Amino acid sequence: MIKRYAALIRNAWLVDLQYRASIVLWLLWGVTEPAIALGIWWAIAGDGSVAGYARADFARYFFAVMLINQLTIAWDSWYLDRWIREGELNYRLARPLHPAHEAVAENIAYKARTASVILVVWLVVAVAWPAVRLPFDPGRWAVTAVAVLLAAAMRFFISFTTGLLAFWTTRATAIMDLHAGVSLFLAGRIAPLALLPPAVAGVAGVLWFRSMLAFPVDVLTGAVHGTDAIVRGLAAQLVWLGVWVGAYRLAWIRGLRRYGAVGG
Amino acid sequence: MTLRIPHSAFRILAAFWRLNLAEELQYRANVVASVLGTLFYMATALLTLALFFHHTTSLGGWNYWEIVVLLGVFNALTGVIEAVLRPGIGQLAGEVRSGELDLVLVKPVDAQGFVSFRRLDVWRFTDVVLGLGLAGYALFRLGHTPSLAQLSAFGLSLAAAAVVVYAIWVVLMSLAFWFVSVENIAVLFDAVYEGARYPVTAYPGALRFLFVYLIPIAWTTTIPASALTGRLRPEIALVAAGVAGVAFALARALWRAALRRYSGASG
Repeated sequence: MIKRYAALIRNAWLVDLQYRASIVLWLLWGVTEPAIALGIWWAIAGDGSVAGYARADFARYFFAVMLINQLTIAWDSWYLDRWIREGELNYRLARPLHPAHEAVAENIAYKARTASVILVVWLVVAVAWPAVRLPFDPGRWAVTAVAVLLAAAMRFFISFTTGLLAFWTTRATAIMDLHAGVSLFLAGRIAPLALLPPAVAGVAGVLWFRSMLAFPVDVLTGAVHGTDAIVRGLAAQLVWLGVWVGAYRLAWIRGLRRYGAVGG
Repeated sequence: MTLRIPHSAFRILAAFWRLNLAEELQYRANVVASVLGTLFYMATALLTLALFFHHTTSLGGWNYWEIVVLLGVFNALTGVIEAVLRPGIGQLAGEVRSGELDLVLVKPVDAQGFVSFRRLDVWRFTDVVLGLGLAGYALFRLGHTPSLAQLSAFGLSLAAAAVVVYAIWVVLMSLAFWFVSVENIAVLFDAVYEGARYPVTAYPGALRFLFVYLIPIAWTTTIPASALTGRLRPEIALVAAGVAGVAFALARALWRAALRRYSGASG
């Protein structure tokens, strides 16, 4: 399995290599939203603070959002939608390897390339701008790595499962857009959850949205600390990951039974 | 640098649009989906704004409803972009790559004009209506009745804004002639245009300079909204028209230079 994955990742990496310029553009697009949110909160905070967040806290928060959103984002619903509608799923089903593995390998190759660019940019910016420096804390980074892994896995299954809805509807990607619109607030893309009205932040915590992005970001910046809070956050991530894996199984099995491919 | 528009060009475009409309009318369910999508998009923008104003009373010197006027303008321009620019000139980068542009160049019409206006995504014009409606409602909430001078300044600067947005698209698509592999260059526009959702005064100095002088998106939303609410004097519309003229001329010049580089599918 490891050998297969190495081959798949190498393949995805080389394919991406051909589209370097395109990937840079997607990367730019991905960091604009947090950059603009940072600009606006920067103006609002002024010399004071908003709910305990001063300018430097916002800077750290949104730099962490740029990095971790890139590490956890999954485009798979768009691929799945196309594979199913245009019948490209057929030859993938004929392979002795589940198509999800190809998708996972693509995610790894894409994220390794783009996230390392963001990380390097962050380091360079941090040399000139103390506001975005994080304290040296390997323990926290290790926990962040685990939380990012869980978030990435969950977002992959959310995206993959939503893409599978293309078995039933032509508007699977529209549903994904809807989910993205809601996660703008509930996952913490536009503001730290601490700045949302408490009831809304509560909903984000009960559902899977906080686990998608806000939790790993808060672990990295130190907003979430203490064993108790971290364990509870990781547990929530595990539970929701389990739920989405279950949803994926259900959609995959039911969907394949329905599937009559193009020309089929 | 003359722009010849022979009478026949309009006849050709009219014929294209007729066919286009007939095609779109087959997919009438799309109008519902399009309107729902726009309403959802406007709702998220308003909620984002409400979240900011939960923690402040003004943003870059603007109050909540003033920025809602701006969001209305933003949405109206988004309608123009989605209805005309993306389906038309937005396809250019891909055609340069595949060489399909040859088929355009051999036609006896001005290539830029043809490429720009060949296709309309008519349903997205509803965004223009919804956006202007939102701006009107926000004016009502502001208790501001624009004078005739302010209204005409708004009309002129909104037209200028559309020209500026068009010029930015032409520049981006012309770049595709040099960077052939970048089929998704429109993404760059989406990224930059995000910045137009808020008044430029909300941004730090360097970014403000960038948006006013280098990538002139300040002229697309901030200026028309300011003209409408009376934040700026109506004369600003004349400046906006001048900016639009310069932007158009520069974009046209770059387009010419880009076409000279193009060697076709075989090259």
